[in-house]
Amino acid sequence: MPMVTPEFLATDELDRDIAVMLAQDARLSFRKIAADLGVTEGTVRGRVKRLQGAGLLKLVPILDIDRTRDPTGSPGFGQHMMFITVKCANGKLDAVREALLAMPQVSALYDANAAPRLVAVCIQPSLEDAAAVMNSVVAIDGIREADSELVLQSIKYNAAIAPIATVADLHAAQAASDLA
Amino acid sequence: MPILSEDKPQRRVKGTSLDDTDRRIVEVLTRDGRAQSTTIGEELGLSGNLVSNRIRAMDAAGLMRVVAVADHRIHGYRLVARIRLQVSGRAPIEIAEQLAQRDEVLSVHITSGRYPVSCLYAFRNAREMLEAVRQATADIQGVEDVDVELINNVYRYVPTVGPLGT
Repeated sequence: MPMVTPEFLATDELDRDIAVMLAQDARLSFRKIAADLGVTEGTVRGRVKRLQGAGLLKLVPILDIDRTRDPTGSPGFGQHMMFITVKCANGKLDAVREALLAMPQVSALYDANAAPRLVAVCIQPSLEDAAAVMNSVVAIDGIREADSELVLQSIKYNAAIAPIATVADLHAAQAASDLA
Repeated sequence: MPILSEDKPQRRVKGTSLDDTDRRIVEVLTRDGRAQSTTIGEELGLSGNLVSNRIRAMDAAGLMRVVAVADHRIHGYRLVARIRLQVSGRAPIEIAEQLAQRDEVLSVHITSGRYPVSCLYAFRNAREMLEAVRQATADIQGVEDVDVELINNVYRYVPTVGPLGT
């Protein structure tokens, strides 16, 4: 991860304030945000567009995580969060990553620089579904070791901040800034 | 199939599920979280009023909300690591609660497996990270071992759940 922030990823306090306001309700009117922050509506619109374009801000519907702790939770809610940590055989990292990305049940995937290690986050409605995901993962060719951890209890979950800008987002933002 | 009718935001009890219409609305919102109700309605063959009522009802019931997720960089953090703690002689939840008080700790979970405490920790620089790891090993009672995974590349991030705190 580069320690010097490239220009196309640079953000300022206004970006942060807008992100904080949208964190509670992403459908808040830009007019209201502009009025609260003392800028024009056009400025807010432009900032949001830029942040979204760089992959730094995502406006998405989320379902309530409290239902992940409710055993009578209705179907369709993610009830079991699972982290799968995978160690890949030499030279197999790319192939394993593509295989994991082909699984729609994988809602987040990143690599950690400690080793050729990939971490996938899955949210499944039942333990059976979680087991099915684990079965598919272990069957992927090139995986040397796969560990699963089930979340038993969430003590804190700040859904408003996360490492969300993907490699594809960053490449696209870089390309756009090179053109400009 | 599309139903063209108005309906008022209904009162829902906690645990009530989304119906098919709700799910289709959520699906459109997944593509564009700020899509106008009328636009969503046109796509799904529903009236704009119905769509906006449904969105309001899901929000009011604490079932679904459109939120903004910001990359850690917007908040001035340059590094994010998953830090897992092996614990002995102390309830993991005490350690988890201690960590949860820090702003830089974005999430803390109690998990199955070798590391009962797993957290996502954000740092402004490498020094902060080293200090946090040192602290976790030296200053937090009951921590046996610390595993640090510095997140390098993100390949996918599709947020699907979060605390809506009704």
